[in-house]
Parts: sequence; structure tokens; C-alpha cells
Amino acid sequence: MVQQREITVTVNGQRYTAAAPVRQSLVDFLRETCGLTGTHVGCEHGVCGACTVLLDGASVRSCLMLAVQADGAEILTVEGLARDGELHPLQQAFWEHHALQCGYCTPGFLLTALELLRENPTPTEAEIREALSGNLCICTGYVNIVRAVQAAAGALRVPRPHA
Amino acid sequence: MTVTGQPSTAAPPASARDWQGLQARWMGTAVKRKEDPRLLMGQGRFLDDIRLPGMLHAAFVRSPHAHARIRRIDTAAARALPGVVGIVTGLEARQRSGSLRPLIPVPSEPPNYCLAADKVRYVGDPVAIVAAVDRATAEDAAALVEVEYEELPAVIDVEQAVEPDAPLVFEEAGSNVLWHDVFTYGDVDGAFAQADVVVSERFAIHRYASTPIECFGVIADWDPGQALLTVYTNDQRPGLTIGVVAEALGLSEAQVRLICPDIGGGFGNKRRPAYIVAVSLLAMATGRPVKYLEDRRENLTALMHACNGVMYIDAAVRRDGTVLALKIRDYADEGTNLISPAQHSLLKLGNMVNTYRIGAVRYEPYSVLTNKCPSGANRGIGKPFMCFAIERLMDRIAERLGLDPAELRFRNFIPPDQFPYETPTGAYYDSGNFPETLRRALALLDYEGLRREQARARAEGRYLGIGLSVAVEPASSNMAAYVLVTGKKTSTGVGETAKVRVEPDGTVRVAFGDVCSGQGYETAAAQLVADVLGVDLHAVHVNPWFDSFTTPWMATSGNYANKFATTDVGAILGAAQKVRDKILAIAAHLLEAPPEDLELVDGRVQVRGVPDRGKTLREIAQVAYRNLLALPPGMEPGLEATHFYANPLAKLPDEAHRVRGQLIFTNAAHICLVEVDPETAQVRVLRYGVVHDCGREINPLIVEGQVHGATAHGIGAALFEEFVYDDRGQLLTTTFMDYLKPTTCEVPPIETGHLETPSPFTPLGTKGVGEGGAIPAPACVANAVEDALRPLGIRIDRLPITPDRLFHLLRAARAGQVGLSPSSG
Repeated sequence: MVQQREITVTVNGQRYTAAAPVRQSLVDFLRETCGLTGTHVGCEHGVCGACTVLLDGASVRSCLMLAVQADGAEILTVEGLARDGELHPLQQAFWEHHALQCGYCTPGFLLTALELLRENPTPTEAEIREALSGNLCICTGYVNIVRAVQAAAGALRVPRPHA
Repeated sequence: MTVTGQPSTAAPPASARDWQGLQARWMGTAVKRKEDPRLLMGQGRFLDDIRLPGMLHAAFVRSPHAHARIRRIDTAAARALPGVVGIVTGLEARQRSGSLRPLIPVPSEPPNYCLAADKVRYVGDPVAIVAAVDRATAEDAAALVEVEYEELPAVIDVEQAVEPDAPLVFEEAGSNVLWHDVFTYGDVDGAFAQADVVVSERFAIHRYASTPIECFGVIADWDPGQALLTVYTNDQRPGLTIGVVAEALGLSEAQVRLICPDIGGGFGNKRRPAYIVAVSLLAMATGRPVKYLEDRRENLTALMHACNGVMYIDAAVRRDGTVLALKIRDYADEGTNLISPAQHSLLKLGNMVNTYRIGAVRYEPYSVLTNKCPSGANRGIGKPFMCFAIERLMDRIAERLGLDPAELRFRNFIPPDQFPYETPTGAYYDSGNFPETLRRALALLDYEGLRREQARARAEGRYLGIGLSVAVEPASSNMAAYVLVTGKKTSTGVGETAKVRVEPDGTVRVAFGDVCSGQGYETAAAQLVADVLGVDLHAVHVNPWFDSFTTPWMATSGNYANKFATTDVGAILGAAQKVRDKILAIAAHLLEAPPEDLELVDGRVQVRGVPDRGKTLREIAQVAYRNLLALPPGMEPGLEATHFYANPLAKLPDEAHRVRGQLIFTNAAHICLVEVDPETAQVRVLRYGVVHDCGREINPLIVEGQVHGATAHGIGAALFEEFVYDDRGQLLTTTFMDYLKPTTCEVPPIETGHLETPSPFTPLGTKGVGEGGAIPAPACVANAVEDALRPLGIRIDRLPITPDRLFHLLRAARAGQVGLSPSSG
């Protein structure tokens, strides 16, 4: 029988304590145990970035990390971006700039972009492209994703109700 | 003809507000997509998000060999693993299911079962499937299945596969050549006799695929009480798949309920009926729902690649640059494709002369089996290779005659007053203005300015190159084209069907048989229906999921061939118009006014000029569903309609084999600037411009997004993406670490411009968009790279132009041996 270990993680502000098979990836734990299916699996080998989440504020590939390694961590997934039904400025910018088509890679892009804008509120286009280069999108050709992140950077510099 | 050249994000001019007699409030407007908020919040419902009670998880046992005989399969150790619930082997599958019906039945038609039983024919060929309580256990168990193989010689190279002594992929077929023919259109030999110059080239295209980020999958749920199989799948062509799955499993089509959830990208290759059958067999055997979802390695190894191929092309040319005729011999590497063989070749007949007034063509296609992953549909199907060959050829002709490549193209364009225009192969170009499209593309990036920049760079020892390519981008596939291969007139034309229903509260629901995989159908269909019914966009709800029990569908239903704007629109409008007529009839009765005096405005029917006299849509719907005695005498209650639409241009091939394989033609011109670093052999795309003409645009925001994505796809194909097999048929590129997709750092900002030449043959003047950029972009990039390296005499005859390949070309050029012949890879 596969060994299990009990872990506790805080996801989008909510605590989850549950047994995780020691070989289970974090993304499977989030999707199956926490029921948070907004984080998507795209390659399971750390290239496509679809499964990107923020773990203690830093982006990680949740397909490359074991759930047990996340014990005690604070995790932000795409479900935690909007507040009270109001889209986060990044989500809003993606909507306005048509930065998603099928929407499957989008959660990973949003979290990668969020990390960028927290670290660098005024990125140049080249910096945005560099920061997003670990995420694959097949639908958009990236043009509108880059535009959306530029727009969100501007919007985030304006004071707003929730930061 | 109107050539407006409006920027895509601006509101259309007032004159464009009249869409075929409809006052358009939503159509033509760049409205934000209705589906986006749920996708942005992680609330999409994709296949892997679906959980059924008691559901098992499946894994395939796959062949490690390209070609081998299966001697023995031993499943005992796998069955003994705790958590394993069921296993189906190839032999068992053959006892319980039939051969899968192909889309294009070639004359030899080898049998095609869902699992391999006697032989494996490519690395990744499934030989058994295991169900267990979770995915990890299923994979553990799959690894415990012992398969004894006797390796056989594999045939990998497409040109070697046609040799008489080549190993046979399917002995039953008697040959690796599934289809071969020679079509002569017009006086080819006469044209070559008159030619001042004959330009002969050999071009090769590689295997690549669009690799949607969501892999292909299926959940099968067998209900023995109802004898009902429910299949959840992200299959792009449900209308085709239902019949194939039912037939293979010995069920009626009424016993198969197929549901498509949100689909995370498709691009043609998200389809594998064999997997649906295999997973269904497991569900039937275990009595529990079974889910299978590819992992990325399986997706890259075994789902579907675009055909690689080799094309020999000769052009008869006059000294002034006029191209008189083409002779083309074309080898398409089908891998182990038995579903749609010959499709890549047939579709090339639609863009064989591209945008040019070429009067005669001889086409000699070979569809060839090899021991590789099945080939199949992928954004553009065959047309990217055809465009690559002809647009590379045009550059070679220009070089030979000392003409500017743009000038050569202008000299050969079909003139704008010649539409509709029938090409020698029978393609029927509905409309367009090819010279204007190219003129705008040249202006978009300032072609003359780029040439000056290139001259300056060359003086500094830098290698800048300018690429041009032009393309027709055909849409809506007429299945009658397959008659050329099959001789059977059993599947012809193309259609779609839609249902529009006004709910009792006056809101509107729309369903149609096409399944969205990112193209914004929830928005575009709502824009159409909102305008027909005179309601707010937000009052129209378009079903995002396909469910064969509630969504109207037909065999051609599905997401392929840029079909939405060229066929689906007819179905959606037709259904909406039937409902509109009924709304007006009921309102006329209630308001005691003739229907022609009524108008639909803001969710109300009112008497024109007397806006107080009216009824809301809700009031009319209440009559239709509840207050039945208030209906006009004899009228059927209810307020819904279904409409089936067939594209009117489809017809059978004629005696001369002229064929309308696709029906409505968008066109585009691409222009790019690249720089080649002669030390690292790296190509950088510095600028990329696209001008395209897809007629009326229902939603310019969506159209522009499609252009960006398709163009990026073509850039990826030109420079990065390649499935590489070694000479024993092992696939060397099985992860995204070695099958390279372009990222934000490789795809440049894509600059766009638009023309709008409405199609006279679609209800609203719309044309296809989606495959577009993927067709001319590989040629455009290759033309630019060869242009950059012209001082060194380097020839680009195959793709992708990887640093490794370019390094060897550069080294050979420096050593004085240029013009390396391509290998077919």
C-alpha cells in the first residue's frame, strides 16, 4: 500500500488537513483533496506552467512538487484571486484584452503575472515577456496576454479596495 | 465589394450596421467574451474536473517498439496488484468490439481495432488498458503487464516506404501506399512546352502538432439497466464520433450519449475514437465509470501528428514571371493513420494554386503508411505544406528572374474582378482582393523601409531577411471531396444544426452541434441571436457543453475546418429567424396588428411608430408555454426552433476530378523581418505583420485573437516544433523539453491589418478564421531566413529551421558547398 502522511495547507485562506499519499503531486492534492479544479495539469513535467500556484508567495509548478512538501505552506490558486465575485485587476485585464481563448492555461498565467507585478509593479514589455516565458499558451500567440499584463500593471498602481 | 480596412478594435462604421437586412447592435462589435469570467476564476468545467461516483482511472500499456509482433501478453501480475479492477487486452477488445469506421475509407481499408492484438505499428501503440482505483495504481499496473514482442524491421522514411521491398505496416493493405492517383487539370504539357524557364524544387515538411495544453481524454459510464453508454470526452467532432463508437461497440446511436465539457484547445488533433471504445470496454467490464486522460508524453507520442512529407514541384514560367503551370508529386506520411488517410493530400487541392492565376496543374499524391504515430488533422491540414511549397517556389522564381518577390506575386494574382473564380483543381474562390491584401501588408511593415534597413545591416555584416507569403485560407470541408479517394458517395457536403429557444421568462437559450475549444462561440452565437431577436446580449445563453441528448447534431457536427463562420452561422441564424417569425406571429395576434408593422426592440415587440403598443418577450413566451388559448388559432405552442443548414456551395467532384474540397476563402498576406546570428545560428523574428480578409467579422476581438494564435502556431512550426524519429522509429521528442513550443520570448508582437470583402455565399458575408495564420506563416519565416542568408547562398528546403540545422548549412556554405538537399525526416 502506498504510504500516506497527514498534511495541513492553507489554500486561499482556508485550512485543509488531510492524508496525502507520499507520491501525490501538489496539483493532484489541490484538485482531488481540496476540490479546487481551477489549477490545471498540462504536462506534468514542469514546462507548460499551467499548474502554477503561489506557495508562500513564490510561484511553483504544482505538478513538480509533492503534496507532502507543501505541508504548512500558504498557497494561492486561481480561485483565490477574485474577491466577493469581483475580478482581480489581472483577471479584469485578461478579460478586456481577450488574453484567453480556451482558458486552460490561463490560471497559470494569472499567478505567474501576479508574482511578477508584486515584485516589479512597472515592468517593461521585455520584462513581462521574460517573466511569462515559462508558461505555454497555444491559443493566443501571447500578444494579448502581454497587453493584458501591461494594462493590469497600470491598473494595480491605482489604489483599489483590495490589494 | 467593400474594402474598409477598419482597425479590428474600432466599432464598425454606420453602414456596416446593416447586416443583410438586420440592424446589427451586437454583430460586428468587439464585445468582451461571455465565457471569460468563469474561465478566469478557475470555474471552467473541463474533462478532468468531472468526477463520477465510483469512478476508476485507466492507463494504457503501450508498445516500446515501432514495429513488432505480439507473442504473448501476461496480465497476472497486474491483476494481482491491490486496487486494480479490470484489464482489457487487444485480443479481448477484438472479441468485444468491431473495427472503427474511418472518415475516409480507402479502397484497401485495413481493419482498425481499438487496441493492437497481433502487431504493434508505432512506438506508443496501445496493446492493453488497465483500470484501477486511482491513476497512479493504474500506471503501476500497466507497468506490470508483461508483453513479449518479436521485433520487426520498421519503415520510417516516407519515400522508402513506397519501395516494393519495404516492410509492410498493414499486411492486409498489401502495400504501404494507401492511396495514389494522378490528376491532370488543364494543358500542363502544353504549358511546360511554352515555358521560358522551368523551376524545379524539392521541399520537405516535418511532423508537428498543435498540442493543446489540455490533453485528450474520455470518461465512459455504462448503465446496464438502460443499456446506455454515457461518454464524456473533449473530442472535437462529436457528430462523427457517436456513430463510430456505437458501431464498434455494437450499440445503436440512441444508446450512446456523448457529452463534451469545456475543451482546453483543439486545433484538429483532439480526437481518438479508439480510446473511447477501449475505455468503454473497461467500463462495461468493470461496471463502474472509467476515466482516461492522456499524459503529455502519451499526447506527444501517440495521439496525432500533422503529416510530414516530401513534395517535388516543377513550375513552368514565362520570362515576365507569369507562372503557367505546376507539376507536383507529393508524398504524405500518414504514419498509422487509418481514420482520415489522404486528407492532407485532398485538402491541398484547395490551395494548390494559392492566390495565383495558374492555369494548369498536374497533381500526383501518395498517401503512405509508416511505423509512426497516426497522422491526422492539425490546424490547416496539408494546406500549410502546400503554401510552404508554393510560396517558397515563388521566391525561387523571383530570384531566378531577378524580380522582387512582391512584384512577382503582383504579376500572378487572380485579379479582383474575376470572382467568383474557379481554379484548375475546381476550388471555387468566392471573393477577395489579393493585390490589395498584399499592398496593405507591405505598407503595414513599410516594405521599402525594411529593404533599406536590410541593406544597412548587410553593410555592417548582419544578416537581416524579409519574408513575404500570401495565402488563401479555405473554410468548411465538403465531404464529397473524399469521393475522389473512396469512390463512395455516402458522405457529402457539410452542415450544422442549431436550436434556439425562448424560455418562459423571455430569456433565450441557444445550442448547436459545434463544440467550442476556445473560439468564443458563447459570445459570437449570442451576438447573432441577440440581433435577430432584438434582445440584450446578456439575455442570450449559449450552451457551452455539447450533449447529444439535448444538443441538435448531425454527422458533420463539430469543431473543425473553420466551420463556424461559414456553416454554423447559417444554422444559428435559421433557428433564430424561425423563432423570430413565431414571436411576431403571436405578437401580431395579441396586438391585433399585421406582423410587418411590428419590430423587435430591447426585448419587446412593438408596433413601429407606436412604441407604447407592444408586448415584452416574456409576455409572449408566457402565452406560448402557458396561456395556450391566447395563441393564434391552430398555432403549435412553444417558442423554440431547430434549423439544419448545409453550405450551399458543396457539390460532387466532376468528371475531370475538379473538386470543391473546401468552400469559402479567406485570404491573407504575411510579412516578417528576421535576423540570423551567423555564430549561434539562431533566428530571431524581429517583426511580424499580417493583413487578412475574412469578410464580415462577427466579433473583431475574437478574429484578431485567432489570427495571433494561428500565426504563432506557424512560427513555431517554422522554427521550433518537430517530432524527431530515429531510424528504428523511436520518437526522440516526447516531452516539452525536446518538443519545443514557442514562448513569449520567441513569438514577436504580431501586427495586424484587415480588409473586409464579404463572401456573397454565406448568410452574413462572414468567412473562416482560425486556421489562417498557420498556413502562410511557415513559408513567410522560411522566405525571410533564406533572404537573410542569400549572400551565403543558403537554401531553406525543409523545416523547422533549428539552430542545429542552420549551423550545418552555415558551415557547409562557408566550406563552399551550398544547397544541401533536404532529408525527408
